[in-house]
Amino acid sequence: MGTVDHMQWLSLLADHWFRRGAWVKNLPGQPTKIKTERSFQRQPNVFLNNKKHLLSGKGKKNLRYFKNVGLGFKTPREAIDGTYIDRKCPFTGNVSIRGRILSGVVTKMKMQRTIVIRRDFLHYVKKYNRFEKRHKNMSVHLSPCFRDVALGDVVTVGECRPLSKTVRFNVLKVTKGASGSKKGFSKF
Amino acid sequence: MELLKPDLTIIARSEVFPHLLTGTLTQIPCQPFIQHIIRIVQAPINRTASFPASSLIMYDPYCSISRDKWHKRRKTGGRIPQLRKKRKFELGRPAANTRIGSHRVHTIRTMGGNKKYRALRLDTGNFSWGSEAISRKTRIIDVVYNASNNELVRTKTLVKSCIVQVDATPFRQWYEAHYAKPLGRKQGVKLSEAEDAVLKKLDGASKKLKKKYAEREKTAKVDHALEEEFSTGRVLAKVASRPGQCGRCDGYVLEGKELEFYTRKLKTKKGK
Repeated sequence: MGTVDHMQWLSLLADHWFRRGAWVKNLPGQPTKIKTERSFQRQPNVFLNNKKHLLSGKGKKNLRYFKNVGLGFKTPREAIDGTYIDRKCPFTGNVSIRGRILSGVVTKMKMQRTIVIRRDFLHYVKKYNRFEKRHKNMSVHLSPCFRDVALGDVVTVGECRPLSKTVRFNVLKVTKGASGSKKGFSKF
Repeated sequence: MELLKPDLTIIARSEVFPHLLTGTLTQIPCQPFIQHIIRIVQAPINRTASFPASSLIMYDPYCSISRDKWHKRRKTGGRIPQLRKKRKFELGRPAANTRIGSHRVHTIRTMGGNKKYRALRLDTGNFSWGSEAISRKTRIIDVVYNASNNELVRTKTLVKSCIVQVDATPFRQWYEAHYAKPLGRKQGVKLSEAEDAVLKKLDGASKKLKKKYAEREKTAKVDHALEEEFSTGRVLAKVASRPGQCGRCDGYVLEGKELEFYTRKLKTKKGK
């Protein structure tokens, strides 16, 4: 995986800025591919067409809805300042975090706005008085406000309503993992 | 609804499809069959009183559309064995495919005895002009863009979140009455007496009235893009209700960034 050519990267970035949401090649470290949007992306709770706002030119910054998810989780700077629209984001979208709070290790980041995490645990076998290692994979929604997520990071997820067939959790916090292999067993 | 099945089988056997002498409703694929029947029934043939067009419901309640989960595979990829037959609470009904035309809405009895209003043809809707905070009932002229499916644009199907062209006159009338200023009027075109009177309202008015309108004038400016639309008499709006569920096609006039986004989309489509 060689380095991306500087000029190539710049031209891709320019492409992205000038055409809202152009196809961006999967650059190393960028988990999400951006599709050309066919419908106008907006937050439903924000009224963009306030007359005073429309006529007086732009306000100091774009109107944005964000919320505090509670339970002591800090809403990331990127969620407040950013321009992404994600209705499944816990900070800027229409999901509430309630129920279980779990954590896991990021194993795959191939899906759009959602990742697979791995949760390891020990299962006790009574007959032998010993434990055995088990794990479960879980698909979890990753908001665009978490930008530098890499494989092996430890991630805290909170339960929300079903977001898709298999996704019921939403990433709330990312902590950099030690550069250990993702396949290794790590208990927490 | 419980009268439907026997009625349709009578038709199938005797008059319409003589070759389907033994066919019952459940053995024939519903959707094309029923639509075919409706086409025939709506033709001016002397049908018996037992088959009034208004009771012709466009679906079979136990049609093959079901919204169950057990036909899908698990997350692991494993199949789920069939535990039970299709249940009534898992049912799905054929889409409304609401078109533009003279008002036609069917009532549907849903789970629990509640009602859904399936709009089949609609011609007007209550559209709101957000920045002015007013709503007016206007005629829907044309479906112009649909983010999900171009087919729905071609067939002029009204669904939530499709972009439509809407008659601008009620909004213009309100604006001219509220601000006493012309909106989207072409230069040199003679206005009718009534319209002229509205615009010239302030000429012989009292001081108090003039003061009121002077206050309003401060916020009377309309965005340039929107004003251009008014001069053509058609305004772009987005449908915000679900016509197949509530029987109404309501929405809001596009403004600002959203208007810019969709006009760009339309231009590139036209350009192609």
